[in-house]
Amino acid sequence: MQCEMRGISKSFGSNLVLDGVDFSVSGGCIKALLGENGAGKSTLMNILGGVLEPNAGQIVIDGNEVHFQNPKESLDRGIAFIHQELNLINDLAIYENLFIGREIQKKNGFLDHEAMVSRTREVFARMGLDLDPRTMVRTLDASYKQIVEISRALLMDAKLVIMDEPTSSLTGPEIGRVFSLMRRLRAQGVGIIFISHKLNEVMEICDDYAVLRDGHMVSTGKVHDVTTADLAACMVGHTVIQGRRGESARGDVVLAAENLGDGRSFSSISFSIRSGEIVGFTGLLGDGRSEIFQTVFGARGPYEGRILVDGREVRMKSTTQAVDLGIGYVPKNRKENGIVKDLSILENGSIVTLSRMKKHCFFLDEDAIRSVFLRLKDELHIKLEHVDAPITSLSGGNQQKVVLAKWLALQPGILILDNPTQGVDVGAKEDIYEIITRLSQAGIAVVVLSSEADEIIRLCSRSYVLYHGRIVGELTGSDLNEQHIMRLATGVTE
Amino acid sequence: MNKHTGFATWFRTMWREKPLFSTLCALIVMVILQTIALGFDQGSFGAWLSLWCRNWLNILRNNSTIGIIALGMTFVIITGGIDLAVGSTLVAIGAVVMVFIDSSATGLLASFGISGFPAYLVGIIVGLVFGALLGAFSGVLITVGKLPPFIATLGMMKICRSVTQQFMQRVNPVVPRPFTKIANVTIGGQMFMPIVYWLLMAFLMDIVSRHTVFGRHVYAVGSNERAAKLSGINVDHVKRMVYMLMGFLVGIAAVLQVSRIGAMDYANAGSGYEMDAIAAVIVGGTSMSGGRGSIVGTVLGVLIIAVINNLLNLLGVPPFLREAFKGVIVIAAVLLQKKEKN
Repeated sequence: MQCEMRGISKSFGSNLVLDGVDFSVSGGCIKALLGENGAGKSTLMNILGGVLEPNAGQIVIDGNEVHFQNPKESLDRGIAFIHQELNLINDLAIYENLFIGREIQKKNGFLDHEAMVSRTREVFARMGLDLDPRTMVRTLDASYKQIVEISRALLMDAKLVIMDEPTSSLTGPEIGRVFSLMRRLRAQGVGIIFISHKLNEVMEICDDYAVLRDGHMVSTGKVHDVTTADLAACMVGHTVIQGRRGESARGDVVLAAENLGDGRSFSSISFSIRSGEIVGFTGLLGDGRSEIFQTVFGARGPYEGRILVDGREVRMKSTTQAVDLGIGYVPKNRKENGIVKDLSILENGSIVTLSRMKKHCFFLDEDAIRSVFLRLKDELHIKLEHVDAPITSLSGGNQQKVVLAKWLALQPGILILDNPTQGVDVGAKEDIYEIITRLSQAGIAVVVLSSEADEIIRLCSRSYVLYHGRIVGELTGSDLNEQHIMRLATGVTE
Repeated sequence: MNKHTGFATWFRTMWREKPLFSTLCALIVMVILQTIALGFDQGSFGAWLSLWCRNWLNILRNNSTIGIIALGMTFVIITGGIDLAVGSTLVAIGAVVMVFIDSSATGLLASFGISGFPAYLVGIIVGLVFGALLGAFSGVLITVGKLPPFIATLGMMKICRSVTQQFMQRVNPVVPRPFTKIANVTIGGQMFMPIVYWLLMAFLMDIVSRHTVFGRHVYAVGSNERAAKLSGINVDHVKRMVYMLMGFLVGIAAVLQVSRIGAMDYANAGSGYEMDAIAAVIVGGTSMSGGRGSIVGTVLGVLIIAVINNLLNLLGVPPFLREAFKGVIVIAAVLLQKKEKN
């Protein structure tokens, strides 16, 4: 099969995500699609998979132009899209998952289990798999779940398989298993598009590569002609944004960790952070940074290793304890973790310090709560009509500032910010950067977790880089640039 | 004409913006219908008024137990939970109270020579503490045992009634006459006290819900548990307190029930109370998914169901069919609330 996408453009509102992109892939070839977060990879693949329709451009399969209105039409032309979040039902057996929505029935309307099992066996034989189709999906490890998804694609005679970061949740041996299956499919003439951030994996498994940056196809070619460093540089581009880091006076170490681990998402994490410092933690999606700091904030289960606050070891058991120690935490995914949607702006902005704002030991001191929030509102330039309006009436940027305000009301010594500018428009982004810089100048130790390299470079004087739950590097000064971050974060070891 | 459209706009905004407004409107309509059904053929205005008032006192008094339970249920449902055990814990608490206050030879305190007022005081305190403990135990099952509230309280519901029935098989405590005064004392020939207790508790609970740290935490936990936790709120503590408060209020309801009736049918007393309380809370505009609701709404919800019941009674609808109407009201109320949201 030969699949070509020509001059594909797509915009969401006024935001041009893809601008005249050409992309092609042929059967019997594994092609890497590379790019930073937000480069347009998912949009491009969603167009090929029939999830989105392009504004301009054409898709040509084996010389015929096609138009996909929905994923089913794409699938009918032999294109299968395996999403990062697997679409399997854990409580069903493998063969039941494979045939979901197109079950084989006997004449009397009952399910024909035998036929489905034997069809599944045929597919497994073709893939060289020794797996019982009646196994429950819940008992499979992550790599076999991935393999079941691929089998489902093959069952529907897919000629082209799109795999969106298939290895992101897999361990070393599991990755090997998926890779050997991919090689086998390639030998059978199936085309594979491999979306990944991990450049060493790309070098290992792929034949061709294509790099997207800001909606443009910036480079394509053969993998054996390039190095990981070339690819990293290509993904980032050569324009590195100059940071305007303010060097602030550093105080004592206020937050430190020694050999922190949770046995799952991260291990052997050690770091130290001084007051007045802005320290970054960066890496790719699923590198474990959010889990590390949720642990530090007492929001996750037990851990091994030590956490030290102001030089003293503490066992973090609850978020209440962390708040009492003066640690603030602005979580990622504001809607799920940050705001309480049924409460007003004022109630959201005072929720952390509520128990410190009592009068007559029992009642809320509404006046004090209001005046503290109004002061913070002015300080953070929160644009709102009335503090008693619902929090959901505010824009994303202003909601995020309210979340910041609730922590600043605590006057924390340590402030952890996870993805602080997620879903925030450009203007508010600048505001938030400025607020963070001001806070560090006031002596607060600030931790910024972000996968956006330019955000880290812009804000932080120092950054740790994570890969698969481990700290793989610490960058400062001129070493703190996008190329270095990208190389460490993609697990390149030289 | 202009004035009329002004009113219509005002009405529409109120209806849309203030959830309590629609509940209040529903109650007013019901009261008007009920008044019409009561009829005006009493001869004099005075006679009509006194009949109307007596009818109302009856409604309020008969619903004060459910009213008190519904107050606690409001908090439980705002946190996104449910408590199915209330009817059974009412019986268990009632049995304990009766054993303590019994002044005959079978009475627990009477055998130590304590009877009369001190025994009543001890009995009431023990009853309230016992209620709070039962509630707290459900809370521990839910927070420490990580059981869904439905399961934890369903279990408690079965346990409490069954154990009470077994233990009270051979004990038959007598409620002393003076104890019945707590609920049955008359002022101007009418028994006001259950109504007073209910409205007093409603007032206190309303203050707690709106003006205390605990109250606000209850809403926060129900609306977004994760965000509440990540704001340093001890979510498990809040939940345990809510179930404990529920148990405490059931304790009050149990004391009142014992005092009002002077006896307790361990097999049937309080059965169905959990559903009646839940129905009242829902009709009062509290969201089953948590985060939204109010005590005032719940009081209105109790009244709406009570008035409709009374109305059906006055219209001569057979008692078996009245429960069906209750079902219709609950479904209609939630459908209306859904429509408002969209």
